[in-house]
Amino acid sequence: MVKKRVPDWLNSSLWASTPPPDDERLNRYVSKSTTTYAAESPVEPPVPVPPPAAARQEPPKPEIRDPLINNDNGSSASSSAEEISRQAQLLQELSRKVVNVGELRKLASRGIPDGAGIRSTVWKLLLGYLPSDRGLWSSELAKKRSQYKHFKEELLMNPSEITRRLDKSTNPENEESECSGLLSRSEITEGEHPLSLGQTSIWNQFFQDTEIIEQIDRDVKRTHPDMNFFSGDSQFAKSNQEALKNILVVFAKLNPGIRYVQGMNEILAPLFYVFRNDPNEEYAAFAEADTFFCFVELLSGFRDHFCQQLDNSVVGIRSTITKLSQLLKEHDEELWRHLEVTTKVNPQFYAFRWITLLLTQEFNFADSLIIWDTLLSDPEGPQETLLRICCAMLILVRRRLLAGDFTSNLKLLQHYPSTNISHLLYVANKMRSQPARQIF
Amino acid sequence: MVLVLVLALGDLHIPHRAPDLPAKFKSMLVPGKIQHIICTGNLCIKDVHDYLKIVCPDMHIIRGEYDEETRYPEIKTLTIGQFKIGVCHGHQIIPWGDLDSLAMLRRQLDVDILVTGHTHQFTAYKHEGGVVINPGSATGAYSSIAYDVNPSFVLMDIDGLRVVVYVYELIDGEVKVDKIDFKKTTAVTHSAY
Repeated sequence: MVKKRVPDWLNSSLWASTPPPDDERLNRYVSKSTTTYAAESPVEPPVPVPPPAAARQEPPKPEIRDPLINNDNGSSASSSAEEISRQAQLLQELSRKVVNVGELRKLASRGIPDGAGIRSTVWKLLLGYLPSDRGLWSSELAKKRSQYKHFKEELLMNPSEITRRLDKSTNPENEESECSGLLSRSEITEGEHPLSLGQTSIWNQFFQDTEIIEQIDRDVKRTHPDMNFFSGDSQFAKSNQEALKNILVVFAKLNPGIRYVQGMNEILAPLFYVFRNDPNEEYAAFAEADTFFCFVELLSGFRDHFCQQLDNSVVGIRSTITKLSQLLKEHDEELWRHLEVTTKVNPQFYAFRWITLLLTQEFNFADSLIIWDTLLSDPEGPQETLLRICCAMLILVRRRLLAGDFTSNLKLLQHYPSTNISHLLYVANKMRSQPARQIF
Repeated sequence: MVLVLVLALGDLHIPHRAPDLPAKFKSMLVPGKIQHIICTGNLCIKDVHDYLKIVCPDMHIIRGEYDEETRYPEIKTLTIGQFKIGVCHGHQIIPWGDLDSLAMLRRQLDVDILVTGHTHQFTAYKHEGGVVINPGSATGAYSSIAYDVNPSFVLMDIDGLRVVVYVYELIDGEVKVDKIDFKKTTAVTHSAY
């Protein structure tokens, strides 16, 4: 681990991972008392109370690494007592016959430890894919998985195969009896030939879909190029890419209104990664089907962000960005004024990506999973939480922003510096309780 | 499963006997849909070659007796998927359009599908486990044996051991499409694909 010299601006109490004693915060979470709110990200070397150089240092990445797979041992050794107890509580909750999803949400919102491999199951519960009654799990899963298989068969066939199947059903194997002679011709019904330009022609639709499929293919190949799981020549990476592609193609075909928009692949990636790495082999094998439904569920809250026609509407991305702006104004008017009025950093320049891609591009993969733990578990819904986290991101770098001009501020926000995730989430959570005054 | 569409056409005789392909054909021949083009010959000029190149870059062209380009081969065989295909213009096979003579050529080239032209008449014959196809004249140009010719061409959908031959004809200003199914019995031991 490379130790960098700590810049002065970082030496503020803001970065201390032991926040000032605050009864309110402790009460919010769990009755058991905790010492530090320290959800470790596995990549960081074990340090329960990080020194002011808590700005996370990126480990050198000469080779492709999977953050969770390679560091399981490291994290379990370093887990604080709090984390171990949280893990135990989660396990206990999950082992109940009927899971109390509300309780699960509270526990999960502080981060799900990786050690027990439960993130996959917890996310499925939080997204409503698994019902809370354990007894129903196997039948529900079987139903969904078979439904997905059916979708794939129907939607991923090319027209050649479709006509072959139709022909087989209408005239079963015959002929081949005469040795030679004129081959019999049958007339084609309206438009079902490969060059058809008819709107209802399966051939025409197929060729129109080809463009989308090519786009999906390109984006999938570019997803997380630094991770073995997603990228590279291994059979594993290729099969994962294939799965991502299938999910996105099926989604696009089932949702002609929105089809595929660039960025959906980035939202899909963490879901599939977590499900595919489920220690339960059966679940891991069906990761593709499970991810599809959870992806649909997750996206349903954010679909409107991807629809260009809705950009300026009440539900579109611009409106959401405005909400962020207002949130910032509420909590830190000085910063808001400096950013938007003085330095004219329009939030669209940085928040667009933060919001539409659910912060997957702003932090490293392992951290984004922890952020998603909070996003998915918050009872207020992912969008509210997302906005609070974005607001917290701004506030945490307020010193730099206040000192900066348009260029430096934009640069900072578009390449958000690595940060202590647990502290970020703590600040974000605080905003829930203090609507109208500054935190600092 | 990948789509393999093969366009077979010929005897356009542009510009001597016809100015251009029928508009209704041209509107259908959109780039990006077809994987291969087989041309029986008598384009006759380079412009037609260039146009076809845009529709599909993978072209196999045979020399007809009126082609200006002298370097096209007279006979060609190629393998697409599970099918061996032979192409020849057909003016060399006498009697013109005679099934037995064409069948002999098919056997000689040892191909599953023999594509020839020259007669400007669409035909599709089955013969001893193979097929002889004539896509006709894509422009409806007159030939030495026929004056009233309907423009026609052929599109083959090669799907494993099965080929679906779509016949496109322009009859009284309307495009009529027919379908012919053919299945071969044995697989090729090796294939170019």
